[in-house]
Amino acid sequence: MKPAVVFDNVSKKFRRGERHNSFRDFIPALVGRAFKPRAASVLDDQEFWALRDVSFTVQPGEGLAIIGPNGAGKSTTLKLLSRILKPTLGACRVHGRVGALIEVAAGFHPELTGLENAFLQGAIMGMKRPEIVRHLDQIVEFAGLEQFMDTPVKRYSSGMNARLGFSIAVHLNPDVLIIDEILSVGDLQFQQKCIQRMMEFKSRGTAIVFVSHNLQAVAAYFDRAVLLDRGEPRFIGNASEAVAVYAAGTTRQGPAAHRPSRAAIVRASLQTRRGAACSEAVPGDELSFVVTYRLSGDRNHELDVGFYLADATTGTRLYNATAADRGLKWQAPAGPGEITVAYSLRANLLRGAYLFSAYVRDSLTHDVLDRLDPAAHLAVNETFSQQGCVDLDVHCRYVDSDSISSDAPAERLVGSPGR
Amino acid sequence: MVVMRALLAECREMLTEQIEYRELLRQMIKRDLLLRYKQTAMGFAWAVFMPLVSTAVFSVVFTRVGRLDTPVPYPVFAYCGLWVWNFFASALRFSVTSLTGNPNLVSKVYFPREIFPLSAVIVCLVDFAVGATVLIALMLWYHLPVGMNLLWLPLVVAGHVAFTLAVALLLSMGNLFYRDVKYLFEVVITVWMFATSVIYPVDRIGGTVGTLLQLNPMTPIIEAYRAVLLMNAPVSPAFSWTALFSVVALLFAWRVFHRAEFEFAENI
Repeated sequence: MKPAVVFDNVSKKFRRGERHNSFRDFIPALVGRAFKPRAASVLDDQEFWALRDVSFTVQPGEGLAIIGPNGAGKSTTLKLLSRILKPTLGACRVHGRVGALIEVAAGFHPELTGLENAFLQGAIMGMKRPEIVRHLDQIVEFAGLEQFMDTPVKRYSSGMNARLGFSIAVHLNPDVLIIDEILSVGDLQFQQKCIQRMMEFKSRGTAIVFVSHNLQAVAAYFDRAVLLDRGEPRFIGNASEAVAVYAAGTTRQGPAAHRPSRAAIVRASLQTRRGAACSEAVPGDELSFVVTYRLSGDRNHELDVGFYLADATTGTRLYNATAADRGLKWQAPAGPGEITVAYSLRANLLRGAYLFSAYVRDSLTHDVLDRLDPAAHLAVNETFSQQGCVDLDVHCRYVDSDSISSDAPAERLVGSPGR
Repeated sequence: MVVMRALLAECREMLTEQIEYRELLRQMIKRDLLLRYKQTAMGFAWAVFMPLVSTAVFSVVFTRVGRLDTPVPYPVFAYCGLWVWNFFASALRFSVTSLTGNPNLVSKVYFPREIFPLSAVIVCLVDFAVGATVLIALMLWYHLPVGMNLLWLPLVVAGHVAFTLAVALLLSMGNLFYRDVKYLFEVVITVWMFATSVIYPVDRIGGTVGTLLQLNPMTPIIEAYRAVLLMNAPVSPAFSWTALFSVVALLFAWRVFHRAEFEFAENI
């Protein structure tokens, strides 16, 4: 299938500050340029790369998320896709009609009424008049502004403004939908409507490019993601993994090596049962989390090493265990050595991005001596669930009333321990 | 040959884009018209008020202070000139800031940017049509009948609009890159008016200056209006050249504008 979006080695150069404020600066600049022409790939001292060698494609019906910290080049990417900007180097091709939800209320004029603005904004987004007229009722209903269409937009709240803009945009029927952080506007109910609408588009074959800081939504609804950092692509691939890499990169505090401590974590990693490094899994996979720490000073003092698991998108801690909790007795090392503890675990997790963190603490006082946060990231891939993170290994069946009294398995439903 | 074909392809692309976005042009014009005289008591009367006041002032000056020989009564001569000139000047005044006045749209949404100056010019065309009613009244008052030469009028208007649009495109783009253009424009437009046959026939000026003034495209345009409306005469050859020049200038300006469009968002 022909890709809907092709972003081919795109670089974009920007200037800090103004170019020339007036003719006075313009003449010397012009003369300078005439005498030593520069190649497009060379920066002068006032310029910087907002994007550097970014490539990706999006197929029809596929959702690609772009994530990264502020200033990573996310919005620049969207502006390139929507033809507002042109790449300095490389090529950006989009096939079909583009719907850009970058600034959904950009065309609104405060003095005009909601209705007048609906027509204006619709036209700005490239809709034909009959199309707007046909969808008008739906637009008004989706925005929930039935009573305010004759009110000038200057009297709207910012939420109403955004809702009207978004409603117009989602009735556009594009081949490629470009969305910039719009889920943050509107109330919870409206956000859910928007996501539902986006999924409808996707299943109808619309390619979606989505920029957001809502990592939960990215991990839950998107197939692939690009992680940008200061204009450079740091990760391109599976959305959950990109979220995990991003979360791991931003929260990292590093080992507290500078602090004189009795113990320091040397390394920690997630492995398959065969010992290979691992960052992706499917629900139920058997994995090992292996932590190595070094002792210094008093060896007879008992230490305990533990880890916790957190949802990378929200930071919620999902699980915590220490070696002592799990019945591992303290063993002082013989030499000035390192201690390695391996936790075998089963990834009873659903689709999403997760972080593992390790810590060493004093067994008695529970003072944390060192931590590695995060130590490893894990992306769990599956396609059937879109919410939640714990795999309860649920099976379901119909219970007919005759068999409840006689059949043993029915008791499991009321809470007796299973396996 | 290859160059010609590339040029034609470019023109076709520019036109297709405009046709594709015609609804937006309509909506922008509607928006500007709605906003134009919002919260004003006089509304569209403002469109005729300004040239009328100027006509009255200049009529006093050129009929009482110093007599000026004009082929038609001076008030109607002056009003016709001011009416045509005002369209030109106000269309340009709106165009100059049409891009810079909408930074949100220019930097956040894609659509052909020609729409901004284009709608500014068309909105002023509405004022121009309103102003025509006063001209008709003056023509009736002074018993100036129209004849077959009125058929030239569409061509005269077309040449006039083409020239205005060409300058409007270049000015709006220029002001986006250098805000000096806005100030320079105010100076130039004032001088330009006195270098054009607006309130007096400019051919009275002789010498080198007079020769130079013959290159001013606005004079043949205004004279053409007077010829076909007030004197029932055909347009002059000078106007034909001006019209041809205007069309070429429009194509040139449009192409320059179209090519620079992608730099607007980052330079506004």
